[in-house]
Amino acid sequence: MTESTASPFVLWIDDPAAVGSRLLGGKFGSLAEMTAGGFAVPGGFGITTTAYRYFLEAAGLAERAREVRARAVGADLAEVQAISAEFTAAIEAAPLPGDLEAAIRAAHAELERRTGQQGLPVAVRSSGESEDLAGASFAGQYDTFLWIRGAEEVLRYVRSCWAGMFGAAVLTYRPDSDPAAAAADHGICVGIQQMVEARSAGVMFTLDPVTGDRSKVVIEGCWGLGEGVVSGGVTPSRYVVDKVTFEVLKRDVAHQESMYSFDPAVAAVGLVPVATERCDAPCLQDGQIRALAELAKKIERHRGAPQDIEWAVSEAGDVHVLQVRPETVWSHRQAEQLVTERKSAVSHVLARFAGVGVASGGGRPS
Amino acid sequence: MTLTSPSTSSDGVPSSEGAAEAVPGQRFASPFAVQTPTGAEGWQSMYPYYALLSDERRESEDGKFWFFDGMHNPEPLYPFDTIMTENWWVAASQMSTRVWPVPPAGGIDHRIINGYLYISPNAVTDPDEVARRAQDFAVRAGHYYENWDEIYEQWVAKATDCIERLKAIRFAPLPEMEPESSVFEHRGVYSTYDLLTSYGELIHNLFEMGSYHFEMLNLGYGAYLTFREFCQAAFPGISDQTIASMVSGIDILLFRPDDEVRSLAKLAVELELTDLVLGNEDPAAALKAIGDHANGAQWLAAFEEAKDPWFWFSTGAGYTHSDRAWIDDLRLPFTALRGYVQGLLAGEDIRRPLEEILAERVRVTEEYRTYLPTDADRESFDGLVELARQVFPFVENHNFYVEHWHHSLFWSKVRELGDVFVAHGFLDDREDLFYLHRNEIYSALYDLNIGWATGTEARGVTYWRPEIERRRRIREVLKANPPLPALGAPPEFITEPLTVMLWGITQESVQEWLGVDGQEGGELRGVAASAGKATGRARVIIDPEQLHEVEDGDILVCRITAPSWAPVFSRLSAAVSDVGGIMAHTAIVCREYGLPAVVGTGFATTSIRTGQLIEVDGNTGVVRVLEDVSA
Repeated sequence: MTESTASPFVLWIDDPAAVGSRLLGGKFGSLAEMTAGGFAVPGGFGITTTAYRYFLEAAGLAERAREVRARAVGADLAEVQAISAEFTAAIEAAPLPGDLEAAIRAAHAELERRTGQQGLPVAVRSSGESEDLAGASFAGQYDTFLWIRGAEEVLRYVRSCWAGMFGAAVLTYRPDSDPAAAAADHGICVGIQQMVEARSAGVMFTLDPVTGDRSKVVIEGCWGLGEGVVSGGVTPSRYVVDKVTFEVLKRDVAHQESMYSFDPAVAAVGLVPVATERCDAPCLQDGQIRALAELAKKIERHRGAPQDIEWAVSEAGDVHVLQVRPETVWSHRQAEQLVTERKSAVSHVLARFAGVGVASGGGRPS
Repeated sequence: MTLTSPSTSSDGVPSSEGAAEAVPGQRFASPFAVQTPTGAEGWQSMYPYYALLSDERRESEDGKFWFFDGMHNPEPLYPFDTIMTENWWVAASQMSTRVWPVPPAGGIDHRIINGYLYISPNAVTDPDEVARRAQDFAVRAGHYYENWDEIYEQWVAKATDCIERLKAIRFAPLPEMEPESSVFEHRGVYSTYDLLTSYGELIHNLFEMGSYHFEMLNLGYGAYLTFREFCQAAFPGISDQTIASMVSGIDILLFRPDDEVRSLAKLAVELELTDLVLGNEDPAAALKAIGDHANGAQWLAAFEEAKDPWFWFSTGAGYTHSDRAWIDDLRLPFTALRGYVQGLLAGEDIRRPLEEILAERVRVTEEYRTYLPTDADRESFDGLVELARQVFPFVENHNFYVEHWHHSLFWSKVRELGDVFVAHGFLDDREDLFYLHRNEIYSALYDLNIGWATGTEARGVTYWRPEIERRRRIREVLKANPPLPALGAPPEFITEPLTVMLWGITQESVQEWLGVDGQEGGELRGVAASAGKATGRARVIIDPEQLHEVEDGDILVCRITAPSWAPVFSRLSAAVSDVGGIMAHTAIVCREYGLPAVVGTGFATTSIRTGQLIEVDGNTGVVRVLEDVSA
């Protein structure tokens, strides 16, 4: 581990230096900020963008990486796939510098020590520098590997994350607002984080994503890990909570027969059956709904803007924050005026008696 | 007016032949299809002709939507008590037709069917007429809004003066001889004239207060309704209780009776009278014991001070004489008193946390404001919440002046008159007077005067007893036959603000009643009136008398709750009612007590039985029967 250098290979998310550091990429940088804010983020560390670049340089792949990106621009899909496959294989085969490997192993051992669990299941996730660029959401383009145990496996999936930077989808990603974004030489951090053995999990929004109503927290959740909600593979239950009073205004409890969970039969995360008595039961108790909504409101205040939040509730009932990111749809939209006309309250009331409603509803279907 | 005479009661009663039956999902039964229960034949003779269905008006009556007003009159009307419904038939309706024509809404029609009151809001649908009405409305209603505080101040003075004049009315049996003063002061009119005049004053006093009742009410509701709709558009799904919490006052008069009891509890502790309060369940015994104590006089003085006016607090909606007030039956305030004394002895702070409630109101309002999209919206929100708060003291406080204080006093005056008839041999019991319509009483008084003046036996001495017996039997039969919640053709639109605000009748509730998606699997739907969720044993209360049966943790199931039931609220885990909207007289106080409540369910008292385990969800307005009464 290169503790003496200005730019470390490993940065813990509870390290004060992690807050605001670009070395952790967007996703993990946000989690460091959440951790510093006192939110219940599962412990972990990031293998920094410095580590990624050091690896490419040491393996002699840095220059080729720039070429691959440049060639992908304007190439047809078959060609991109061929370029991608070739370079990905090169990354998988390249040697890992000894000091980098030692740093990762040491940090992983430290995480096991901190949690008191040998063979601790961790999540290995990419956290790209470019993810939070305005208008260029790479969300969903990068990889996540769940329930990884032991240093060997961690090292293997770290490499997979690095290789994932050159997947065909990433190489061809062309956001309208910034066509050059994908071709730029963005670094990547790989986050190693303790898994929450989720009883239920999902996402929540600090506004109603359908109407843009900012007085709501909308929670979507399912039994098991939240991957089903995030990927869309499981129809989630949905709760609309009033952000001011925390009343649960609406509940749509979905029928759920299978869930993402660690499957001992294949020693990996996969779809397993939901216990019969849980299929039609709400995946969140009222107290948990309230705790999540309060958490969402605190995170929004902390970050100063509407947020999307990934969460998990453990079997013990604790609520964890897995990811936060700024809400991008309504936050960038011009606010539409609600009242039909600017007039005095009495005029509004008189008009109402005459059958003219005070609000048009505008772009806010109710 | 003419009342159909008992001997010809079946004449002129419209036939039910050919009347439409209910079609689930489409229409309610025609009002003409309602059958008179066996044993109640001739019920029509108890009520004025204009309140009855007739063949001559059949076409119009058959085409309208009628709903049962169980909120004000849960039971078959006593003939005298129709004075209340007849009052607002005119007083409420004239406001939206003749005083300031509410553009799309007309008056509210009434009919009595099998003794139960049904009402039907009229709508104005012609766009030209709506536009014409809107012009007059804007000028006239605008005047009231612009001068609201001043007019409200005048209103309080008028209402208080009206009550003072009611208090001054006295009824006494006619004297054996006219007093000498009648002779030597040369009045020229005597006790017979005074009796008739006092009765006339009594009736006119009720109509006077009845008119004040509606002077500002519709406008108050309208301002609130506008704010509510704004909130619903801005924050889709926001609950009614949250909207109300931004507007409702914390020092409203409906809380005063309870606050007075809290003060009396505190005084009882200070004066070391707690053993006497707690040791005597019977209020009379408690008062006697306190009176015998050395410190008793000070407490009794405070008690008397509190009683008038604050114990003129009805146990019902104040619309029927059977809604007794605290002052008539001290058991309810004494139950509350014991509870507060116990609380104080246990070291609890029994004061209402006014500052916290106010701070929460400020927080909630300001936070919603920040979530509005534009400055123009925040400006409108500020204006509307301010206007709603300005009109709300009237909306909330009129209830104490009118329904509690005035009406309770009015019923007590009618009982005083009942004593006159008992003294003159017309009746055995003062309460029997309520079996006479107010205009029949005028005739009976004249009859009484004739008997007194001539010295021969008045006709009424032998006429009224059998007639009252007949009416009593009919009413008992009607009472055993609960009414349908709605009759006639379902409306396309509901525009009349009172209908929505007070009775909670909306397009949705009409659909529920039609059975489109209602009541399957032991589930009832209503208006979510107070947040929270509770499970408990149902306690069905039809008569306020039964309130004393309530046990800790019970869920109250009733036609309508009344604020004066407050002392039992502390024992309840939730409340469910058949009728009422978010602004029903009691919803306000229910929320204050933090009880989950679902109102306007239509059928709770007829479909839920005492002892059943039920779940009340005050967030969603759903009531479920979880377990039947165990054998």
